[in-house]
This record gives sequence, structure tokens and C-alpha cells, in this order.
Amino acid sequence: MTSLSGTPVGGGATSTAPAVNRNAGRRRNRWFAQVGWRHLVAVSAVAFSLFPILFVLSAALNPLGTLSSTELLPTGASLENFTNLFDRTAFGWWFFNSLLIAGVASFASVFLSALAAYAFSRMRFSGRRVGLLSLLLIQMFPQFLAIVAIFLLFTTITDLWPAIGFNTPWGLLLLYLGGALGVNTWLMKGFFDTLPRELDESATVDGATHAQVFFRIMLPLVAPILAVTGLLAFIGTINEFLMANVFLTNSESKTLAVGMFGLVAGERNNNFGIFAAGTLLTAIPTVLVFQMVQRYIVSGLTAGAVKG
Amino acid sequence: MSTSLSGPGAATQSPGREPAGPGLPGKSRTARHRAPTTMTGLLVKVVLLGLTAGIAIWAAFPLVEAEKWVGLAPLAATTAGLFYLYLTSRHIPAKYLVPGTLFLIAFQVVPVLYTASTAFTNFGDGHRGTKEDAVVAIQTASVKQVPGSTEYALSVATQGDPATGPLVFLVSDPGTGVVSAGDAGGLRQLAPADVTVAAGGKVTAADGYTVLNFGQASARSQEITDLVVPTSGGALRSAGLSRAYEGKAIRGYDAGCDCVKDIDTGKTWTADEEAGAFVAPDGERLAQGWKVTVGLKNFSRVLTDPAISGPFFGTLLWNLAFAVGSTGGTFILGMFIALALHSPRMRGTNIYRVLLILPYAMPSFAMLLVWRDMFNTDFGLINNLFGLGVDWFGQEWSARIAVILVQLWLGYPYMFLVATGALQAIPKELTEASSVDGASPWQSFRAVTLPLLLVALSPLLIASFAYNFNNFNAIYLTTEGGPFPADNPSAGATDLLITYTYRLAFGAQGAQFGLAAAVSIFIFTIVAVVSAVSFRRTRKQEEVYS
Amino acid sequence: MRIRTAGVVAVLGLALAATGCGGGDDDSSAPAAKESAKAPVGGKLVIWADDKRTAALKPFAEKFGQENGVTVEVQAVSKDLQTNFVTASQQGSGPDVVVGAHDWIGNLVQNGAIDPVQLAAEQKSGFNETAVKAVTFNGQLYGVPYAMENLALIRNTELAPEAPKTIEDLVAAGKKLKAEKKASEILCLQSGQNGDAYHVYPLYTSGGGYLFGTAANGDYDPKDLGVGKPESIEAFKKIAKLGEKGDGALKRSITAENSIANFTSKKCAYLVSGPWAVADAKKANISYDITPVPGFAGGKEAQPFVGVQAFYVAAKGKNKALAQEFVANHVTTPELAVALYNAEARPPALTAALDQVKGTDPDLAKFQEAGKNGQVLPAIPAMATIWDPFGKAEAAIIGGADPAKTITAAGKTISGQIK
Repeated sequence: MTSLSGTPVGGGATSTAPAVNRNAGRRRNRWFAQVGWRHLVAVSAVAFSLFPILFVLSAALNPLGTLSSTELLPTGASLENFTNLFDRTAFGWWFFNSLLIAGVASFASVFLSALAAYAFSRMRFSGRRVGLLSLLLIQMFPQFLAIVAIFLLFTTITDLWPAIGFNTPWGLLLLYLGGALGVNTWLMKGFFDTLPRELDESATVDGATHAQVFFRIMLPLVAPILAVTGLLAFIGTINEFLMANVFLTNSESKTLAVGMFGLVAGERNNNFGIFAAGTLLTAIPTVLVFQMVQRYIVSGLTAGAVKG
Repeated sequence: MSTSLSGPGAATQSPGREPAGPGLPGKSRTARHRAPTTMTGLLVKVVLLGLTAGIAIWAAFPLVEAEKWVGLAPLAATTAGLFYLYLTSRHIPAKYLVPGTLFLIAFQVVPVLYTASTAFTNFGDGHRGTKEDAVVAIQTASVKQVPGSTEYALSVATQGDPATGPLVFLVSDPGTGVVSAGDAGGLRQLAPADVTVAAGGKVTAADGYTVLNFGQASARSQEITDLVVPTSGGALRSAGLSRAYEGKAIRGYDAGCDCVKDIDTGKTWTADEEAGAFVAPDGERLAQGWKVTVGLKNFSRVLTDPAISGPFFGTLLWNLAFAVGSTGGTFILGMFIALALHSPRMRGTNIYRVLLILPYAMPSFAMLLVWRDMFNTDFGLINNLFGLGVDWFGQEWSARIAVILVQLWLGYPYMFLVATGALQAIPKELTEASSVDGASPWQSFRAVTLPLLLVALSPLLIASFAYNFNNFNAIYLTTEGGPFPADNPSAGATDLLITYTYRLAFGAQGAQFGLAAAVSIFIFTIVAVVSAVSFRRTRKQEEVYS
Repeated sequence: MRIRTAGVVAVLGLALAATGCGGGDDDSSAPAAKESAKAPVGGKLVIWADDKRTAALKPFAEKFGQENGVTVEVQAVSKDLQTNFVTASQQGSGPDVVVGAHDWIGNLVQNGAIDPVQLAAEQKSGFNETAVKAVTFNGQLYGVPYAMENLALIRNTELAPEAPKTIEDLVAAGKKLKAEKKASEILCLQSGQNGDAYHVYPLYTSGGGYLFGTAANGDYDPKDLGVGKPESIEAFKKIAKLGEKGDGALKRSITAENSIANFTSKKCAYLVSGPWAVADAKKANISYDITPVPGFAGGKEAQPFVGVQAFYVAAKGKNKALAQEFVANHVTTPELAVALYNAEARPPALTAALDQVKGTDPDLAKFQEAGKNGQVLPAIPAMATIWDPFGKAEAAIIGGADPAKTITAAGKTISGQIK
């Protein structure tokens, strides 16, 4: 830490020959202090992140893949597990359903929670803090207990409106939107709070309506956090299992999480290779979405706005 | 060290420093009156309200059809409320809050309230339905074939329209070949000349009757199941669509004594409204019970039953440690890496970010299972890789470290992402100014970056704490709460309150939802208090920075 | 520039709000759904099963549907099938037929979730006697069995040509293999960190332990709990000798996930498992033989649990007559039993079906032999209280805990939970 800003005064003119070396060394030190250590941290973090995944990869490539027989490094390179995945299961459907549900759910929930976060951050009304706190607390009730109530609710819905009942992506979507406000609102509210109030105030003075302030000024400024919450909601929905398991029983209407769990949950069976292959494929849409939103996350739109 | 930096930091932050908070509502109200409604805004409003009306009408039809007026009222009220809200110029906060809140109420608040209400009942396996359900189940379960009676081949027929006409059982006795027609009035024999009987004994046609095929018959399944043809020895019932047997319900409910009687043995079981079960004088209970209100019994059980309350505080302590450890650990690690990558001179950040986000992109339940296996003593990757022989899940502390390590792996990409987003949002002038002032990176981090990060992230940290406090899968899919002390299989070293509740609710003789709901209410209260207290502290921050 | 972005975001948001609320497609999807619900003239039969059986059932169920002019849907519930079935049925959104193990019956009956099935005498006589006994509860037949299963000792005949007569023989032979570095484990009997009551049960019975006594009518009696009794302590003392502090034949590191895999990768020569393990052994080209699980020298017989997989008629199904028809008159045909056998090689409960496949699969007879002295897995609701505490006690004792203290505590926990 000390070396970073330090331009030591000592070096100087005592001897010239070693100074060249020292300068090179110093430059290297300097490079390390400013950039190098960052790579070191990043590389070790990547190693920590990847080694269990490498294990899954090697299981996916091993046609006899089981948990205990798999080594860290791939021993074979067979795509048998991948082809089996598509031949034996409705993986294509699962994939499609997951993309549909997670895609729509994450967009909708980002939108809903951005609306709420704007109100919580910029407006003062009675019940504001109680509302924020209840939003958090309601998420804390154990979900496995609420399943009974959800069955009750959706049995009625299925009877009346089969289009949004059990075994439909829309029904599950509605259920997920129930949780849209939760954590996302908190996260976004925190970001709205960091934006200087003068921005929207001056706009208001200029005659903008609250909706214009929200859509034209606030939303673009919080684009990074919209991207982050969108991504998090996407991942959260793709991984959601407890509700989807009771909700989707038709093989073709299942999501990845439910379908994949079925591969390993089967009584004492050994589908680990196929399961590992599926796990890897499941990660692909998430990585793609991340790629898509990455530029918003890193573009630093906000910083620019504050400058201007 | 913070003193030297507070100057530039506060100066650059000046836009936000003005006491804007209290003044805002007044200002915006006046502004609103001046602001002209734009064309786009109007158009959007019309389209959205039109959609709302459309959805409401679509949803109303089935309700009207089913004559569910109770359901129609809230639908109408909600729709009217929405129209009012978005057409009036008042209640601005509500305009932003209502869309999400509607979903929240319908799909979270209502289920949670319903569940909480079961805490006052004996709701659970054996006590799920109503008393009527239990009586029906007892009677159905006691129907036995009359010993030595005939097994008939059955065809379902009608004298009227296949879809609506009154049903008749055409049964043929395989021994004698006699064909009879039966309905609620009893059996009457048909002349052999009038009927056609197939090889298996099934009647395929009969004069004056239309024989239903499986498709037609199955459409009227309920009527077939309900049709009972009285006979001398009992009654003829259908066993599916192609066989009938003479059966007798051995047990029947007698409303006079509010009891169930067994015709064969004469034994009676009287209804016990407090237990929600039929109980015989000798204490024997019929398995099929019903749901009754038990008042505060579940709550007092939580407090007084040593098996429940004994391990409660130890578990709570570890639960807090787990939640703090998971949240804090992932935050520190995630933030550290985000800081490391947050430099204009850093190359390859995109690829690093993609790789770092991977643990979060993998299905978490799958990775929890993988991690569990990696911690296996003899075959696990971790012991093999590092040449260790640690019995990870077999000892208290190693198991605790292991589950937190797994949480760290699963959770830090999330914190990394969020911290990255937050770092981008921090105006560069602030950090630039502090470094111009000659502050070391550590100082500028402590004085500028960290406080700003915390403003943005502390609500999230509370949320993450709350999530981890109840992180069922993290424990259930790895240690299942173990290791357990040899003398107490009900509470393990890594048990969270929620896994412990789960075992309590589902490990017993059938699920006990009522008890589980009561325990959940206790846990909920504790978490609520903890969160509310930490939330109060964020108020100060909010006021400082907003 | 900034304003344009805002516009894009706004439009995007609105578009999403519209689709997200499900508004956009209501008009098209609602009538379609209604029509499809009305389309089939006949009724609809919904069957719930776990994933593996769903795949096997599907073709058969579709055929049944086509032949009879009804719609049949087979749906897989991957997790908590039993609980979800009970909850869904009670709310009226359950299936008409459910497929599951016979030890569910007690719980399903106490919740009024399934109806008895009336089989003709000649239909009943077509089934294995033990299987019929297993699905009979309170004197009523509640399900139609299709497959049976029990544990046996599967050994790698290359490593261990001789079938061990006692556990002691097995341990001696296993230790020798370990010393010769031909195997790294003595025995693969899955336990895991929290034990496995099902797999250790043969050893428990051989040591003299029992779970429930039998009442006068031959049913299990939940009032006579054997766990915590002196016999159970004796049995676990013997098991402790095989544990990690003793011979090392039983280990907590051998889990449900790795025990079969360890056998197929030749890390152990002996595996205690069921018919489901055979497919893996075949796939890995292991030459194997199947014999009964050996007991302790001088001990009682080692009795594995006998489990039965069965079809049940849901009490609150929408189409009970059709469900009864399907379960009573179509599941009882050998074709389905053989189809299910082909999906997973468990011995069919239907004698005719067993005879049909026995010729091509000698393993079935061996498994039957191993299960000959087995005990029917208790279906009484009280059995649910056994699994968890009993398994944990087993794991603790294998890990070196004091058998007497541990098993007494387990007995106390279990009896506290029995109503």
C-alpha cells in the first residue's frame, strides 16, 4: 500500500549503474502495485470460482460420469452425456421455458421494483419506512410452509382461468412477480439514494412531470443497477426450484431447475454425467445475458451524468 | 486519517448536501400543476388502462359463469381503484408502488397470512381436511366385498342421451350368465334375448339401452362412482368401468351420537372435537382425523417442550453466526475483488468478470450437491487434492467452516457484481480528489469509497442477511444439519432454525404444519426484531447522504 | 443522447409491462385453453409418478388412452411426490392415479388421499403373496403392486469368487483384498453422514434388533418399539465393531451417491444394494454375482426390507371410475409390468410377468432368493418417525459413539414422536 503513491526521494544520484536496475525494478514494482496485484487477485479468484466447475465439466465429458469416479481434470472427451440429455429428456423444452419465464420475469420485476424504489427513495409519505421493512420481512417466511397456501390459491385460479393456472408459464410468472418487489427494491433504492437530488429537482423546476423525471432522468442514470438487478433476477428465476417443482408437472412445461433435479432425484440412480452436462448448459443463457448487460454495468453512465 | 479527506469528499458531494429532503414534496406538488401532460404520457396511460380493463373483463367472465360473486367484488374494486389512481393527479407515491404491491399481496402476503393462521390449528397429516372429508374417507375405506359374493362383469349404459341420461349398470353374472340392469332402485333381470354378451361376459348391447364406451363413461366418472345399486347382502358398486362387486361399508357415521360405528364388531369411536379425531373408549383413534382450532397449544408446546426449546438458543446463536458470516464473508470478498478489478489500467476485466460470475450462473442446488461430495472424507476432491484426511462434515467446527466456505463460493459473485455496479456509480471526482490530496489508497477507500458503497449496499446487506438467515438449501443439501451429537438426533451443529423446524414438522409421524407455522412465527419475530434494529441504523445513513 | 436512451428504456419498460402482466396474449390463449379442455369427448386421466417411471409409463398410458378414447397424462413430480400428492389432492388439484412405494400407504390413508382397490380373487392370486401383503393396510387392499425390491450382496466375482457366509468372512476377505491393494474399501454399504436405516437394517436384524413388534392380527404394532431395547443395543454393539473405530467395513464416507460408483470402479469388492444397482454394474462390465446379505456369525438371519412399488387411486381424483378401471384392470396385465421392468430391472410383482422375464434375467431370481426371508417394510405412519433418528444413531455409532447411549437416545426421540 505504501509504495503506491510513494515516489521515494532517497534513490537519487549516489550510484548510476545500479540505478538503471533499480529503475527497472521500480517500474516492475510500480506496475505490480498498480495493476499486477489486481491480476493476481483476479486470477486467484477465478481459480477459486472455477475449480468446482472444472469438476462438473470433467464429469460431463466422462461417459461413465459419477460423482466419485470423476477427477478434477477431464479424463475423456465424449459428448455422449450431452446427446443423451437431448435424446432422453425434454431438455429443449426446459431450456425454452426457463428462458421465457426468467426473461419475462426479470424484465417485469426490474420494472416493478424500479417504480417502487423511485417512490421509496424520492418521495416522503407516511408508512414509507414501515413499507420498506415489511417488504423485507415478508420474504423471510419459510416458503416450504407457504406451499400449502399456494396450492389452495392456484387450484382456484386453475379452475377459473386455466390460462394462468398450474402447468402454465404465466401462472408461475405471476407467482414470481409476487416476489418482484422484495430484495430488488432494496437494492435499487440504495442506488437511487446515491443520486444527487438536484438532478431531479432541477428537472422538476423546469416543468417535468414526475413520470418524466423517472423515465427520462432517473432510469438512464441507474442503468448499471437496472442491469445488475435484471441479471440477478434472471439468475434467481432460472435457479428457482421449490415453487416450480409443485407448479410444473407436465414434462414439457418444466423449467431447467425442475427437470434437472429430476435427473438426480430419481431414487438412487446415477445420472450424474447427464446432470453435469445439463448444469453446464444451464449456465450458458446466464453468461450470455451477463455479456449483454455487462456494458451497462461497467459503462459508468452515472459518473458521466454527474459530471455534466 | 479521515479528517484530512473529509474536506474534498464533502465538497464534491455538494450537489446532494442541500437539505432537499423536507422541501421536496411541496416543490414537486407545485411543479406538477404546472407540468403539461405530454402526448406520449397520455397515450401510454390510455393504452395501459385499456389493457387493465381488458384483463379485468377477461377475468370476470369465468367468475360470473361460476357465480363466484365473492371473487368478483375484489376484482371490480381493484380495477376501479386502479382507474381512480391513475386518472387522479393525487397519490403520486401510490402510482409507483401499487403495481408491484398488487402482486405482492396476491402471491406473498395472502399465502403467508394463510400459513400463519394455521399455527392455531392442528393442521398436519391426518388432520388436513374437514370432518365431512374424514367421515367420507372412513366410510369409503371400510367398504369390503361381501364374502362369497359374485364378481360381475359391468357395462355402463343409459336409456337416454349418452352424455346426460340416467345411468344404469348392466351386470352379468359370469357363473350363470344372467344379465341384470341396476340403478338406485335395485336390480332387475333382463331377458337373455334382449342382450348381447361378449366373450368376457361384458354386455355389449341391450334393447332399450345405449351402452357407453370408456370415453363416454369416463366423462361421467363421478356419477358412476356415486351410483350404488342396493342388493339384499349390501350394494353393488363399480370397480372401474368393467367390473362390479357386491360390497358393504363396515363403518358408518351416526349423527345422533356423533360417532362412527363398526357394524361387524359393534365398536364405536366418538368424535373428539378438541383432538379432531374419532376416539374409541379404549383410546384407539381412527387414522382419518380433521382440522380443528387448538388455540395457543402449538405456541405453548414450542416454549415448554424441552425437545423443541432446549436446542433453540444454541441453534439461534449459530444461525446468527452463519448469516453474519455468509453475508459478511461474501461482501468482503466480493468487494475486494470488485475493487481489484476497478481500475482504468486494468485489462481483461470483461473476461475476468464472466469467469467470476460463473459460480452464480450454475444452478445452486446442483453445485451444493457437488460441494457436499467434494467434502467427502475418503473420496472427496478437497481431501484428495490437498492430501488431507479431515472428516469435514463429521466434526462440529469443520462442518461449520465447510458450509460457510460453500456459501462464500456461491455468494461472492453476487456481491462482486453489486459492488462493481456500485463502484461505477461513485463519481470519479471523489476518489480523484482524495488522491490529489495525497491520501493513500487505503485512506481514500476508508474515507470515500467504503462509506459510499455502504450507502448503496447496506439495505442489500440487510436483505442478504435475512436471506441467509433462512437459507434452507445451503444446509439441507450439504450437511442436513449434521453432525449430530450422539445423544440428540434432533438438533445438529450446522442446523439453522429453518432446517430444524423442517425436521420438527416433517420428521414426525406425518407433517405437522400447525406446529411448524408456530415455530416459524417465533423465528419470524426474532428476525423482524433484529432487522428492525439494524434498519433503524440505516435511517441515520439515509438522512446523512440523501 | 441521454433523452433517446430514456425513451428506449421507457418504451421497453412499457412493452414489458404489457407482456409481463400477461395482458397481450389473453385474447388468443384463453379461448384456446378452454377449447382444449373441452376437446376430448372422454374423460382425462392424470397419473403422477417419479421421473424414471414416468418415462416407462408414458407409452403404455398413451396406448390405453387411444384404445379407450380417453386422454391420459403422465406427469413427473421430481421432489416430494408423496407430500405434494397429499397437499394437491386435498385442495382438489391432484392426479387420479399416483405411483409410489407401499410404505406411503399409512400416511395416504390417514389423510384420506387414496381409495381401496377391489381386485377379483383371481386377479389377486396372480400377484406375489408378499407384494399383496405389503399393499394391504387395515385389512384393505390399497394399491396394485407392480414391482418388488430388496437388498442383496452384490460381489465382484473377479475379486471375490466365493460368496461369504457371514459378515466376518466378508470382512476377512475384504481386508485381504485391501492389503493386496486390489480394493481400497472392505465393503460398500452406504451410510453417509446421517446414516441410512434402510441399508443397515439387515445387519441390525442379524444382530437381534427389531423396529416394531407384531400385533395379534399380524400387523406391526407401533406401541412395541424395538429401538432402544436391549436387543437393539446388542445389535449396534456388533455394528460398532464393523465401524470406523473397528474393522472399518462401515464408513460414513460411503454415501448413496458413491457406493455403487465405488463398486463399479472396483474400489470395493462387495456392495450391499438393490436391483437398481445392476444396470450400472453391467454398464461398467463388472462380472458379478448376487447372494443374500450375510449375517453375523452365530447371529440371527440378516433380513432386508422388502419394498413394493404400487399404483394407487386418488380419493379426490376427478375421474375415479376411470382411475379404478386403469389400476384394477390394466395395471394387472403383464404387459405393463414387463414394460416397467424394462425401464428399470426390478422383479415384477405379477407372477406371470416375472415368469416372462426370469428366463432372460437370472439376477431376478437371485434377488428374490435374497429377499425370501425379508421383512415387509412397515407401512404404518409411525414408521416415518424411525428413519431420521435411527439413521443418525447408526452414523454416530459407525463413527465411534457409544452404542448404548446413542441408541437409547434415538429410541426416546422416536417414541416421543409416535402419536
